[in-house]
Amino acid sequence: MISRTVRAAGTTAIAAIALAGCVSDVPAPVTSAPPLEASGALLDAQSARIIEETMAELGEADDARDTELMTDRVGGDVITIRRAEYTLAEADDGPAPTMLPAEMQAVYVSAAETWPRTMATVSVQPSDEDTPIVMLWVQESIDDDYQLREWAHMIPGATLPAMPGPSTGAGQLALDDSSITPTAQETIEQYVELLIAGEGSERDEEFAPDTYRERLFAARQTYVDAASEADGEYVETVEPDLEASYAMATADGGALVFAPLSIGSSFTVEDATVSIAEEDEPLLDGELDDTVTHTYRDFIVIHVPAEGADALPGVVAAEHNLIRVSDS
Amino acid sequence: MSLRTTALVAGVIGVLLLAAGLIADAQRPPRDVTPTAAVSTAVVAYEPEMIAFAADNRIGFSGEGEIVALTARPSDAQAWLSQHDATYVTGVPDWDTLATDVAEPEPSPSPSGSASPTPSPSDPEPSPSPSPSASAAPAEEVDLLAEGSQDHWRQDWRGTGRLSIVASDVPAGEVLVVVSRDSTPLTDVDLSLTRDVQDGWITPLIWWGAFLTVVGVIALILRFVDLRPAQAKGEKWIADRQRVGEDDDPSPGSRRARRAAGEHLPDASLVDEDERPAPSVESSPRRAASAAAASGASAASAPSAPSEDATDADTTDADTTDGEEGRS
Repeated sequence: MISRTVRAAGTTAIAAIALAGCVSDVPAPVTSAPPLEASGALLDAQSARIIEETMAELGEADDARDTELMTDRVGGDVITIRRAEYTLAEADDGPAPTMLPAEMQAVYVSAAETWPRTMATVSVQPSDEDTPIVMLWVQESIDDDYQLREWAHMIPGATLPAMPGPSTGAGQLALDDSSITPTAQETIEQYVELLIAGEGSERDEEFAPDTYRERLFAARQTYVDAASEADGEYVETVEPDLEASYAMATADGGALVFAPLSIGSSFTVEDATVSIAEEDEPLLDGELDDTVTHTYRDFIVIHVPAEGADALPGVVAAEHNLIRVSDS
Repeated sequence: MSLRTTALVAGVIGVLLLAAGLIADAQRPPRDVTPTAAVSTAVVAYEPEMIAFAADNRIGFSGEGEIVALTARPSDAQAWLSQHDATYVTGVPDWDTLATDVAEPEPSPSPSGSASPTPSPSDPEPSPSPSPSASAAPAEEVDLLAEGSQDHWRQDWRGTGRLSIVASDVPAGEVLVVVSRDSTPLTDVDLSLTRDVQDGWITPLIWWGAFLTVVGVIALILRFVDLRPAQAKGEKWIADRQRVGEDDDPSPGSRRARRAAGEHLPDASLVDEDERPAPSVESSPRRAASAAAASGASAASAPSAPSEDATDADTTDADTTDGEEGRS
């Protein structure tokens, strides 16, 4: 009996071994990840969805003239600027808020794997009188939506550099990234020096001409002349916001630098009451006496050419936005 | 060894082969297998290496509610996964199971600033009665996807209770993240694979075993059946067939009688000029044979065959007149 059992067990074991030998081994694991087909942070469909949702949210807020409706997709300076525009628009014959086209002619996405990261777009031309608008979206973290933070009309005649497509994405450069010369931070600071110093500055030779600073200098000269005539004082401050500044690498090794600026324009005439333009009165905070201060939130886009290129850094888009008028 | 013994041995071998073949067929390893793993988290991730390993096979996920599968760049997926309990499918150690690894959310990098002071003796004693609401409350359902941004998700598939995806539909290099939408844990994951099974020998084994078994059965049957009467009957029948024609006289007028009479032989008349006229001589063998038969002489005493030339000429004549006779 025992021998029969042993024989049966042996036969079964042999059959099991024979059958087990019939099955191939589990394939070896794949040890290296295949390369990404599109390494940019956003594919076309993703960026299109972001733009669509942003414009929908902005449109609802514009219709209601209510910045409280700007929640997920619109943030930063756009809320501040839009609030001022809504205030102006509510006045009689007030200007309508800046029209931001939903249709884009170019979308530049980041290749960054860290945050914050940006997406820039260039819209179609909104009207015959207006140039295309450069818009900047920022995603602060994986949990945050891309938010429209800034916009600026292109400088007439300016050309944006070639940028990497969504399949690769543009490098997200730190402001002190030395792969460009000058660095993004140096570029911003030097341009601010130029804005503060005015036309006669040595920095004027270091940047390509642009209508933004020309108009700024012209307005400043008007205020200075008026203050001089009234024996008053005019003080203008220009401060960069490096925390909200970003840089994206261009295809040729240069960079696009996105920099918000805060500009304060204070006009004082002692023993007098200053006045402001009628269209700015809705933004007045307080009661004017001998001092008036206009506060602007500007946004400039500077193209820093690649090292060795025969070109100067230059502003390719800029927006000058009055956001507040105060009596001090 | 006689033929019958050889057949019996072959039959025994055939039985063994047939049994082995049938057992092997019953135990044949399946070609299509589905390694499975139970999971206990609401999030399951397949990294690009595992997606590449799965190739054109289907990846399945089972749960109770809505299941959503999404893809993202590895950096984005990792950032999102680091905030959730997630099960990573890491390999296929054998054909039955999937290897998994559970990762817990990374601790927040910002330490809590509120240090809890050591309770002073004057602090009131904690209540000994436990709070019933702490543990009795059911787990709150949270929409894991609605918690944060979805901008980083590139593709998505949706299902209820069960979701399966062809791995090659996931773009190369991207991470597949599968989420139970209502945060209830998924129950299991599986991967359908087709493996190479070396079972081509089983079917021939069965056929050869069946053939040899039949041979053996026949030999066995013949061993127990006495064939000698049938054998004797057959031998007698053969002997009877051999005796036909040796002793019996053919029936008059039968074909055999006619053949014996030489009726089939050609009728040729030989005319010899030297012996002309001698018409009384029966030069024709047929007539001579008839005459001999009439006079009681045997057929064997018929004249010899005529010359070759004459035979040839008369054969043609015989064929045309009585083909059947000529051929016999």
